[in-house]
Formats: sequence, structure tokens, C-alpha cells
Amino acid sequence: MTDLLEVRDLTKRFGGLTAVRNLGFSVSEGESLGLIGPNGAGKTTVFNLIMSELRQDSGELFFQGREISKYPTHARVKLGIARTYQVPRPFGEMTVTENIRMGMMPDDLWQMLTKGPQHDAERDIGKDVGFSEREVAMYPGELSMGNLRKLELARTIAAEPKLLLLDEVFAGLTVGEIAQISELLVEKRKQGLTYIMVSHDLRALAPLVDRVVVMSFGAIIAEGTFKEVIADKKVREAYLGQ
Amino acid sequence: MGVLVSLRWWLVFGVGMCLLPLVVSTGTLRILVFAQFLAIFAMSWDILSGRTGYISFGHPFLIGIAGYTTAMLTYHLGVPLYFSIPAAVVATMIGSIFFFIPALRTRGTYFAVVTLAFMEVLYHLMQVVQPKLTGGTRGLSGLPTIILGAVPNYYLSFGVMFVIGVGLWLLIRTRLGTALSTIRMDEDAARSSGLNTTKLKLFAFMLSAFVAGIGGALYTHYLGSIAPRGIFDISFLFSILIAALIGGAGTIVGPIMGAYFLTLLLEFLRPYLPGPERYLIYGAITLLAYYYAPKGFHNIFGLLWQRLGALGRRE
Amino acid sequence: MLSQILIQGFLLSGLYGLLAVGFTMIFSVGRVLNLAFGANIMIGGYVYFALAQEAALPKLPSFIGAVLAGVAFGVVTYLILVRRFRDDPIAVEISTLILAVVMQALIVMIFSPAPRSMWPLLPGVAHIYGVAVSLNIVLATVVSWVVLGGLLVFVHKTHLGRAIRAVSMDPKGATISGIDPRQISLVTWGLSGALGAMAGVFLATYTQLDPGMWVFPLITAVAVVIVGGIGSIIGSLIAAHIIGFMETITTTVIAAELRGVFTMLLIIIVLLVVPKGLFGREEI
Ligand SMILES: Nc1ncnc2c1ncn2[C@@H]1O[C@H](COP(=O)(O)OP(=O)(O)OP(=O)(O)O)[C@@H](O)[C@H]1O
Ligand SMILES: [Mg+2]
Repeated sequence: MTDLLEVRDLTKRFGGLTAVRNLGFSVSEGESLGLIGPNGAGKTTVFNLIMSELRQDSGELFFQGREISKYPTHARVKLGIARTYQVPRPFGEMTVTENIRMGMMPDDLWQMLTKGPQHDAERDIGKDVGFSEREVAMYPGELSMGNLRKLELARTIAAEPKLLLLDEVFAGLTVGEIAQISELLVEKRKQGLTYIMVSHDLRALAPLVDRVVVMSFGAIIAEGTFKEVIADKKVREAYLGQ
Repeated sequence: MGVLVSLRWWLVFGVGMCLLPLVVSTGTLRILVFAQFLAIFAMSWDILSGRTGYISFGHPFLIGIAGYTTAMLTYHLGVPLYFSIPAAVVATMIGSIFFFIPALRTRGTYFAVVTLAFMEVLYHLMQVVQPKLTGGTRGLSGLPTIILGAVPNYYLSFGVMFVIGVGLWLLIRTRLGTALSTIRMDEDAARSSGLNTTKLKLFAFMLSAFVAGIGGALYTHYLGSIAPRGIFDISFLFSILIAALIGGAGTIVGPIMGAYFLTLLLEFLRPYLPGPERYLIYGAITLLAYYYAPKGFHNIFGLLWQRLGALGRRE
Repeated sequence: MLSQILIQGFLLSGLYGLLAVGFTMIFSVGRVLNLAFGANIMIGGYVYFALAQEAALPKLPSFIGAVLAGVAFGVVTYLILVRRFRDDPIAVEISTLILAVVMQALIVMIFSPAPRSMWPLLPGVAHIYGVAVSLNIVLATVVSWVVLGGLLVFVHKTHLGRAIRAVSMDPKGATISGIDPRQISLVTWGLSGALGAMAGVFLATYTQLDPGMWVFPLITAVAVVIVGGIGSIIGSLIAAHIIGFMETITTTVIAAELRGVFTMLLIIIVLLVVPKGLFGREEI
């Protein structure tokens, strides 16, 4: 298997705080990776760095063997990386469908101007993540937290990424919704999607990932299968010590 | 479907306004000419600021570039209008790069203030640098006019406004228009949805400058003169901004409504308040309008329309 | 010429410091820019003019009257506009800009659009190292520095000042510690209004009073704040000197009308080259 994403020696400082310290890991094509760690470990920051929403102080990022540090965010999306936000960030004045539409925009201004939206594809994606017919016409202000998370997911899926970065997709969801999203992710994986999943809900995360990387204070403290890392003493200390 | 229905309303508006010279005086038409130029400027503002949320407080900067370019070309070199006006539009689009560069790094108020600063800079530069060319403080007058008379000018300004209005209105209905508005809502999220916001912004700036360029050049030749005080002026900026805002920013229809409303309001007040109080009352009314309806008339009408529709369905 | 630049640059910078600090205080507490700050400047100048020259009151009470008018205007702006549009900074900025234009119309109505000249607060000329400077400007500088010094002491040494800093650093945290951010904002808007009005009186005696006088100082205040780093009093003071000296050099060496041009260029360069450091937040 080839590496889809490789993170090499990544470091990010915020003033005196080193949020990510010499981080290195890789995900191969078709694999699913869990990224866990206590609050403030630097998980979201890693996602921000991979998406170029923050610029690293040092280190390199390889996607499909290509160094992408110079690529701006939208270009990384076009290469095939997409993310969800831990705090959902829908476009507030657009319906669910329109939000999904933003995930499948062509790159070319002329095509945006002349080609109409793909209504069927939008509706399908909405349905896939579990929106009802009525809900897809609603505005984000009217949605529950669970539905906002589904919308985050739907918009990223619409971009047809090769690598999906999932930041706390289960937070605030009911058991039923978690099951539904999990099922969707399993399905997408079968179709070849690779993802990195950040979650505090370890029980929901465990069956969805092949491998887990544990972060604490910006650095990796353990790596392995879910069972292995959970048994690790350092990991237990990191979680209990918080 | 919805677009076709609404286009019918544009048609009604167009036909109605074309018949207007049959019933109103030339004095009223002259006032409406100002409203229509204001509408063009307000739409130019709207496609940039109303859509993308990059609030320009310096739109007179763009309009002034257009006006001065065509004024200087025709005044000094005797260049014909059919050449000088396109040249002015191109110059304005190039000038808008001055707005675009700060927009790469700044947002919100910073951007707004930088554009205001550009307007002030040009105000000073036009007076000091090369007054022989620019006419200095007094500006240039005796510029050629395109056509004479209230009625032809009414039709000209209305026609230009109408074409620009319909064009922009159709544009904001495409996916491109929607993409532009994601920049206003959340530029970072737009980028991480894969939108090249830099390219989109550049497009919005160029389009806005294109419209401002046409409006500015035609307006200058309508007036037959140009002076720094008249163009690079806070009250001019104020009218543009307010027309767009109290009409309804981001909607294109709103700025047109706002421009007519503001111009007619000022005229309506004239007989009652001949002195400077008029501007105070006018300003106060706009402040109140913004205070109570920051989303503008367009939104209010939209809500009323929905109510009526809901009532109709209940019958 | 060098000593002239040094002295006048220093004098002008003091006034710009006053302007910029008055302006940036509001941002640091409420995260909005008050574009009606320009109106504050204008109100200071005109109220002083009305009291001292039209009503022939003594100078000190007139000055105090102008400052109080500034406080009142600041507080009213906050209570009416800012509370209404609290969660939308752009709406606050637009409405304060409209308010400034309305105030300008009011001034035109009361005082006519014609420029008025103000008598100096302190007549006479002093010679400092061979440079003739009007005592008026020296007084303005001294008062500016005293006020700024007082403000620094206030912000760092008093309870109220500490509360203001707490809100500016972390409004939520401040609320949890029992501070009412709205009260703090009110105080800040009042203080800022006072500083703006003071600066307005000085500016008017530097040049003249006219209803459009607020635009340039407002832009200068914004420039200082952008260059110095928003919300920081010390940063603003340093930037006030950079801009003050730059303007003085332009005025003496090139042409007075171009002084704003270089300030604008500086803003643009700063925004393009070091936006990160100046905003104090992460931006790509
Ligand atoms: N833009 C920023 N500026 C300054 N500090 C930041 C910034 N973003 C994150 N941090 C800090 O970096 C550290 C890591 O934050 P991050 O959000 O990556 O943690 P996390 O692992 O996602 O935590 P959580 O589980 O709570 O989401 C935290 O201490 C946080 O306060
Ligand atoms: Mg996080």
C-alpha cells in the first residue's frame, strides 16, 4: 500500500505554546486512522495544518507523494482532501441543499456561471447522511446540533475527497445518529475513501479505525491498534492526568 | 421557473419606466437621471460589498478614476467618447487592483478603512499632482456631453441601469453568485469547501469596477464637469452606501429601490425644508431606516410577499 | 531643518497618540471600530468654539464643556447603536459612519459649512532650539501626554482600569469574575469620547474648524492603530510617532498636501508585509 498522506516532523507554535511538536505519521490508501488525545492535545491544529488553514513553522506534508506545503486550502481540496469542523461552520444564509452544493463547485468561474446545480447528486448526499426531505430545505439556524454535524459531513462528502478529516463528527449526536453516520462511513470506506477520525467517543471510534495515533501536548505518545493503545500506560496517564 | 416569473417583473418595471416620460415633467426626469446613476453606483457597490462582504467605503475612488480618465482624455486630447469611455472602464478595472491587494490580507473594517483611505489619497493627489492635467481643485468643466435634453438622458441612464441590473441580477442567481456570497458568510469555510476565494474575489472586484467605470464615465459626461470635491466626498460615498443598504445589500434589486427612494426622498423634502436642515432630516431618516431594517426594503417586501403567499394558500 | 522636523514631529505625534488611543480603546473592549469617533473629534472642536468664541466663556470651562460633550456623545452612541447591533461589527461600523455623516449635517446646519478659525488656547510663540513653535501646540502636546500618562496609570493601577483590561483580554472570563462587560464598555465609550473631543479641540486650533474636518483624523487614527497593533496602547503610541514624524517630514520636505499619501502607503505596506504581528492573531 502506498501512503496517501504523510506528515513529517510537523511543528506549530502559538507564541510560547507548542501545539504540535515534531509530529510524524502516515495514512495509506484505503486505511482509516484514529487520532485521539485529551483536550488541547493538538488534534484540530493538525487538521488545520493539513488543510493549510494554519501554516506550519516547520515540517513537511506529502499527499500522494507530492509535497503540498505550498498549496493553498482550496487547491488541497481539489487534490482530494476535505475536512469537517469540530464546531460546525455551515453557510448561515443557505439551505442544507445549497450548503451541500458548495462542496461540489467547479473550479472554473465560467462553469460556475453557465452550468446549473446537480440537484440529484445534492439530494442523494443529503439522504445518505440522513436528512429528511423536509430538512434539506431548512436553514442551518433551524437545525439541531446533530443535523449540523451531518451537514458538515455532507458538504465534505460532496467534494468527493480521497482523504477525509473528521473532527468530532459524533459529538452531540444520538445513538441512532451515530449508528447511521458509522454505517455511512463504512460504506464510503468500501468505496475507497480514506479518513482520519478525531473523536472523544472512543466506543464509536473503535470499530471504524484500523489504527490509532495518540497525541498529548502536541506529540505522539502511542501508536497501534485500538486495543494496543488503550492498554498503553502512557495513554492512560495522559487521559487521567488531564 | 422562478427566474422567469421574476424576469416578468423586470419587464413590467422596464416598460413602466419607458412610458414615464409621457406623464411626468422634464424636471422629474432630471431627478430620476440622478437616481439611475446612483443605482448604477450602488449596484457596483453591491456586487463587491453586498455579495462578498468586503465593505468598500471608497467607492468614489473607482468612480473618480473613471470620471477623470474620460474627462482628461476628452478635454486635453479631444479623444472621442466612444474611445474615452471604454478607456475609462479599463482604467477603473486596473485601479480596482488597489482595492484587491488589501483584500488579500485584510477583512471587515480594515478593508473598509483602507478603501476610504484610497479615496482620500486620490482626493489630495488630484488637487496637487499635475493640476494642469486634472484641473486641480476646480477640476475640469466644459466636457462633451453624449446626448442633450432631459428625455434622451433619462432613457440613456435608465437603459444602462436596466441592462446592468438585469445582468447582475441574473448573475447572482447562478452558482457563481452563490459562491461569491459564501465569502461573506465564512471565507475560511468557503476555502475548505474547495472554492478559490482569491479568484472569486478578483472577479467580484473587476465586475464591480467595470460597472463603476461605466457609471462614472457616463455620469461625468452627463454633468459635463468633474471636480475632486464632488466625487471624492463623504456624502457621495454615503449616498451609494445607503442606497444599497436600505434597499437591501446583496440583492441588486435592493440598491435600485434604495437609489430611487433616496433621491426622491431628498426631492420630497425640498419644499418643506429648503435649507441645510434637509440633509440632517435625510440623514436621520436613513439612520432610522438602517436601525430598524438593516437588511433593507428588499427583505421587508420579501417577508410581506411570503405572508401574502401563505394567506393565499390557506384560502 | 532637522531640529524643526524633530520638534514638530514630536509635537504632532503627541496629538496623534491621543487620537489613536481614544480610538483603539473601544476596539480592544468591544471588538468594533467606532467610525463615529470622527464625529467626536468634530463635536469637541465645535463645542469648544461655541462656548469659548461665540458665548465668550473662559477657556478652561469651555474645554471641559467640550470634553463632556464628547463623553455624552460616546455614551449615547454606545447605548443606542452599539447595543442594537452588538453581535454584528460591520453593522456597528456602518451605523456609526451614518451617524458621523448625520452629525456633520447637524454641524453644517448650526454653524454653516464655512470653515471657522479658532483662537489658540495659548497665544504666543516659543523658540525651542531655534525653531519657532506656537505655544498653543506646545500646550496641546503637554496636555496630550499628561492625559495619556494618566490613562496608563488608570488602566494599570485602578480597579476600574484593571476591569477594562480584563474585558479587553477575555470578555467571557471577565464576566465569570463578576465584571459586567456592558458597564465597562459604557465607561470605555465615555473615555474614548473624552479623548476624541480633546483631540478635536487641539486639531481645530492647529488648523481650522470645518464640517469635513473629521475624515482625515479618523483615517490617521485607523492608520496608527493598524501600524501599531490593534488594542495596544503602547503600540499605538509608538505608531503615532512613526506616522507623526513621517507626516512632518513630508510636510517640510515635499508638500503638505501629500502628507496623507505616505501614511496610506505605510498602512498598505504594513498590511501586506506584517499583518500577523500587527493584529496579534494568526492569519495566512
Ligand atoms: N489559533 C490559535 N491560537 C493560539 N492557540 C491555539 C490556536 N489554536 C489552538 N491553540 C491552542 O493549541 C492547543 C491545541 O489545540 P487544539 O484545538 O489543536 O486541541 P485539540 O486536540 O483539538 O483539543 P480538543 O479535544 O479540545 O478539540 C490548545 O492549547 C489551544 O489552546
Ligand atoms: Mg479539537
